[in-house]
Amino acid sequence: MSGTDWSELDGYEALVSELRTDPPVAPERLRQQILERAPGSRRRMSGRRRLGLVVVPVAVVLAVGAALVHGFVSSGSKRPEAFLNQKIVVRNTPTTAHELAPIPRSGTPDSLQAAGRSSPTTPNGGLAYHAVHVTAGVAIPRNRLVHADASLQVRVPNRSALSRATNKATQIVSSLGGYAQSVQYQSARQGSGDAFLALRVPVGRAETAIARLGSLGRLVSQQISTQDLQQQLTHQTNQIGSLRRAIAVYEQALQSGSLSATQRVEIQIKLANAQHSLKLVRRARSGTVASGATADISLTLTTNKNGIVGGGHHKSGRFDRLLGSAGSFLALEGIIVLYALIVVGPLLVLGGLAWWILRERRRREERLLASA
Amino acid sequence: MTGVNAVPAAVRPSGRVGAPPFADVVAEHLDAVYRYLVYLTGDRAAAEDLAAETFERAFRSWRRFDPRRGAPRTWLCRIARSAAVDWFRAEARRHRREETYTRDEALLEESVFAEGLSPELESALRRLTPAEREVVALRVLLELDGPSAARVLGISGTACSTRLSRALKRLEEEMTHVRD
Repeated sequence: MSGTDWSELDGYEALVSELRTDPPVAPERLRQQILERAPGSRRRMSGRRRLGLVVVPVAVVLAVGAALVHGFVSSGSKRPEAFLNQKIVVRNTPTTAHELAPIPRSGTPDSLQAAGRSSPTTPNGGLAYHAVHVTAGVAIPRNRLVHADASLQVRVPNRSALSRATNKATQIVSSLGGYAQSVQYQSARQGSGDAFLALRVPVGRAETAIARLGSLGRLVSQQISTQDLQQQLTHQTNQIGSLRRAIAVYEQALQSGSLSATQRVEIQIKLANAQHSLKLVRRARSGTVASGATADISLTLTTNKNGIVGGGHHKSGRFDRLLGSAGSFLALEGIIVLYALIVVGPLLVLGGLAWWILRERRRREERLLASA
Repeated sequence: MTGVNAVPAAVRPSGRVGAPPFADVVAEHLDAVYRYLVYLTGDRAAAEDLAAETFERAFRSWRRFDPRRGAPRTWLCRIARSAAVDWFRAEARRHRREETYTRDEALLEESVFAEGLSPELESALRRLTPAEREVVALRVLLELDGPSAARVLGISGTACSTRLSRALKRLEEEMTHVRD
């Protein structure tokens, strides 16, 4: 103890000495009681520590594990490695969606078309999904009026091939009775380039056109959607028939001489309305027929590997998808946790406020005790 | 005298490494904590309960105890004080409930603070406030230095010195008053 400390006791030596003479001693049973309680306390402490040191890491591991499992399943067999990025949408049609079959890696367009009916194996015996086109499994109904939309992405090796493929594409659609609505061609000095073609072909030859366009290079992406127009056409045809019958009735009525002037005016108005409606429905029906007569094909030709969506036949494709899917799942988990925090947040704030009030109250009581 | 305030050599270098077993801490400091609680509460039974509770709390947080931040006795006294504050709060509630509460009379029936104290000193101690007895216990009985005692009390060193001085003066005055 320092000199300063001793000086505080100066003048009270006798008192201090008496106080220190025989100070109270803790009973032996208290000592035993404390030593016996200690191991029990250790268990409780370990339990609390376990809550923080084990449960939280386990929860994190489970969340990450679930994300990885989800990513693994999502990138699994339903979409094998480097499977062609293709999407087929069928709208308003009673037919079922088209099934896509794996296509052999190599082969001419004809053999590839046949592959849809044959065993989807490569010469090596393994499955290959680097299909050039999949039209063998996509049948556009011929007995119904349908509108077809197709979007193809084809990669070509270089700029000269891009130019040739662009010209070839326009030739293909012309030979099939179609035409190119627009052609946008762009290339750079480094040999890379892109061409965007909006093509229109008769719907009956759409499958052939898609197959031949897809063979211009490596087909890496394809989307085909068909929209059934038959029901709409039938409805419009029925409307036209009804209107024609109504017009005939009105004309007959006007020719008879038994109508009053007022009735005649009313029928004339109805006749004019019916004729106008007939004109509109006929125009709509013509549009429906025209829409069902042709198929719109959007063709993208490119030399850029990175610009291709889903063109990955590289070995890390599935791993990338796994990571992406796992990341998305983790993001979803994060959103859920964030949402829970937002919901529980006010309660936590209230709890913290209550804890703070209790602490302040305790401090105040301690101050009161000290000043008592 | 400096032993109770100094950091044990065994635990000084690297915190938890070489920390004394908890049983040794109990053996070394139980009496001190018990004395402190006796003086603070003026009730031996309560002091026993609070001492037990103090060491239970201490054992729970023994892993978090950092010897570099203070001596074990200081740390234990802080825990004991916290437990005592809870006890005082409960006593105050009980006092409000029970109209027949006669703690002072009970204190007169037996020697509380020490067996060997003179009746005057014993009586004078009873007349001190808990806060005054507390600082006397810390500085005189437990021989804590000024900063350590101030840390236990949660006040400044100057305030601690003032409180000690005032407590000792009052203790002498009360003894004189009892003799007269």
